[in-house]
Amino acid sequence: MTSRTQAVVTTLADAGVTHVVGVPDNTSAPLFDALSRDTVPRLVVTTREGEAFALASGLWLGGASPFVLVQNTGFLESGDGLRGTATRMGAALPFIVTARGYAKMLALGLGPDTPRTPELLTRPDVDSVALMTEPTLKAWGIPYRICAADGDPVAAIARVLEVARALQHPSALLLLAELA
Amino acid sequence: MLTRAQLLEPLAAVRTDEVVVTTMSITRPWGRLSSHDLDFASADSAMGHAADLALGIALARPDRMVVYLNGDGSMLMTLGTLATAVGSGVTNYLLVVVENGSYEITGHQPIPGHGSLDFAALARGAGFPHVFRFDEPGVWARALPDLLRTPGPTFVQAVVEPTSEGPISRRPTEQSRYLQVSLADWARVFRKALGADPQRPA
Repeated sequence: MTSRTQAVVTTLADAGVTHVVGVPDNTSAPLFDALSRDTVPRLVVTTREGEAFALASGLWLGGASPFVLVQNTGFLESGDGLRGTATRMGAALPFIVTARGYAKMLALGLGPDTPRTPELLTRPDVDSVALMTEPTLKAWGIPYRICAADGDPVAAIARVLEVARALQHPSALLLLAELA
Repeated sequence: MLTRAQLLEPLAAVRTDEVVVTTMSITRPWGRLSSHDLDFASADSAMGHAADLALGIALARPDRMVVYLNGDGSMLMTLGTLATAVGSGVTNYLLVVVENGSYEITGHQPIPGHGSLDFAALARGAGFPHVFRFDEPGVWARALPDLLRTPGPTFVQAVVEPTSEGPISRRPTEQSRYLQVSLADWARVFRKALGADPQRPA
């Protein structure tokens, strides 16, 4: 485990996070690996991202303090699982969305505000999930912050925990930085 | 085949401090029998994800049995939950699939695979250590007290007659207490009953 991964685990534990729930991707894999060895927070791996949000909402209902960790691809399929549980309940649910396709999108001079035309969305050099991630967060009423590739994920995670708890609402960190 | 009353009345009779989560067409019938603060209606539509919500409650509170009354259509939407439940190591989770073969609240359209689909076999395949199928009311009523005490997770396929429950709403005129307020308001009632400080998110 790298020092950064350890710092993330420590930040979550010190903030009282009891469970990390989600589906791994290449960015989050080091954290999943680390949590599979630690007992606090407890890791719960789900089969889909919508499942992760609903399960975490149940944890919150039961008095636990969950944290969700998903990739933006799976986040796009989680809409009603998030809306019909955490959002409707007013659950303090912080989560990370890792950002597949962002590096390519930014390198091409594209961004979330670029018009999502049929031509753009079918281009082979564009990963369309990056174009859709922030518009989806906005459409679903989820406040979010971005941790850039050269940013500090530990500080950003601490902040998203504070925001979710202050708002009593799901709150996201769009993570471009590595966790290892 | 059980009637809705034959399924729910034995549970209402033996239930003490267990959490009971409902969804879809079972929501109103259970709410007419019970007004416990530890009832929770996941009735704001989450495309089958109430099974995950109930599992989360169980993982947060291993000291409480969590009974989840699922629909068969809802179960099909989130079959992965069966694997997640077993993989989570949960022991206080009783998942009851109320099998009527149809999407009842939208007018009884048949669910995919009805007639050939075997929910109990799916649960066994996912690794549930205790799997039961009930279609006779007396057998269900006699088995229920043990099901609530036995460490699980436990899966029950309950074959029931279709009824005519319409779409679920939340409004003061609903007969079921847990449908008379918003989901957010009932979440506060529920968390308080479980001893989760409503002033603190965690």
